[in-house]
Amino acid sequence: MTLDIVHDLQSVYRKLVDSTSRPGLISDLSKQASLVEEEDQKGCSASLLLIALTLFDQEVSFKVFSPQADYVSQTINQLTYAKPTDLKKADFLLILQDAEKGSLEEAIINAKAGTLKNPHTSAFIIVEVDSVTSGEALLLKGPGIHTTELVHLDINENWVESRQEKNKEYPLGIDLIFIDQNHQLLALPRTTQITRNRVIEWDM
Amino acid sequence: MNTAYNFAFFDEGSKREIRRATLKAIAIPGYQVPFASREMPIGRGWGTGGLQLTLSLIGKNDVLKVIDQGSDESVNAVNIKKLVSDTTGVATTDHTAEASLIQSRHRIPEVPLKKDQILILQVPLPEPLRYYEPSENETKKLHGEKEYSGAWLMLFEQIMKYGSMTTGADHPVMVHDRYVMAPSPIPRFDNPKMNESEALILLGAGREKKVYAVPPYTKVVSLDFEDYPFEPESFEDKHCRLCGSTGVFLDELVDEATDETFYQCNDTSYCIETLNEVEPFGVK
Ligand SMILES: [Zn+2]
Repeated sequence: MTLDIVHDLQSVYRKLVDSTSRPGLISDLSKQASLVEEEDQKGCSASLLLIALTLFDQEVSFKVFSPQADYVSQTINQLTYAKPTDLKKADFLLILQDAEKGSLEEAIINAKAGTLKNPHTSAFIIVEVDSVTSGEALLLKGPGIHTTELVHLDINENWVESRQEKNKEYPLGIDLIFIDQNHQLLALPRTTQITRNRVIEWDM
Repeated sequence: MNTAYNFAFFDEGSKREIRRATLKAIAIPGYQVPFASREMPIGRGWGTGGLQLTLSLIGKNDVLKVIDQGSDESVNAVNIKKLVSDTTGVATTDHTAEASLIQSRHRIPEVPLKKDQILILQVPLPEPLRYYEPSENETKKLHGEKEYSGAWLMLFEQIMKYGSMTTGADHPVMVHDRYVMAPSPIPRFDNPKMNESEALILLGAGREKKVYAVPPYTKVVSLDFEDYPFEPESFEDKHCRLCGSTGVFLDELVDEATDETFYQCNDTSYCIETLNEVEPFGVK
């Protein structure tokens, strides 16, 4: 079996629609990810490549965060014709698993947030993480969420505060997509309010 | 299935463009995202915006329902269904509850929409401020500054003139306390269905090249005044002549022979389903 760029990418798109319109809803990309050719996964995950194939073309610009950024950028450019560019101009920022600590914060702070007239000219930030089903508990509120949603994310950075600062002048802001090693996807559009859900920990 | 076409008619490049715009629309509820609308093999004004959304979303396992002013059988609804099913092979249905994608012009179905459904509304005029501001550059600025006094003034002038808000269809709404949005020419009766909807609602305007969205569980409030609250069309004391339903949107009809006024469900599939439900009990 190989990846069908019409039907498999349609499935990926619908999962992006589901997860973006219902923040907290985890979508499973593992079936489509298993169809991505090994030789195409040069330095980035199959699920990140799936999102690039679904949304990228010559009209899109992107920036990769990774020690292998040049290599991965070249692969994505060859597969999609999207253009690598600077952090502050990119439509999509791709934070790979091996990116330096602090990359997500750096991306959030410097990403384009759109303008009041054109808030859609803002960046999507796609982040590879260990897990979107374990780690720190985050309580979500906002459009797409019936009362509240609880999610778990494994990221060792102060990104929640940076994101809040970046999105404080809504509709300006950035939209986040997290994908984990099991090809599970979680989206946090700019409208989602996040509260760190600190629970009392007992000394064992 | 006609294999001379791409799956879902569009080439993949056109799909990518509207898909990117749609994700942005979902992230900014009520904001009109521009997209490069394509020529469609149906007449302009007959829902090319809605059709492009449907084609960008649809997959092999979807079940499609298309309605035009409440009817599954209208020429426009039938043509759109035919185009989509000829180029995708997907099943179509009249039953609202069975559909995963519902494309509609001028109505939100009576059967409450669910989580696993997407409603796609066809929009002729996406800009709610166009009535008093002809310049696109200016309306974009007004939305950017959340400067909506003109929208309120427009409603106020109608009240002064007619003693009530006689907006008919397409009564403007405020989405997520931020954007004033045209809900498309649905009757005021349907406006409250957009508030905290279980289903995602996408709106597409082909001629004006805009797509916008109301995500599920999003606050949607019809614009009104404290002294003149928003009022949906009321069908109090009236019922459908065919199925007996009350509390639904009814069309007023006149019996030509007797000159008598009577009412019928505007949502024809709902009417038929209700009829089929009561039949076993011998009620007509
Ligand atoms: Zn009826």
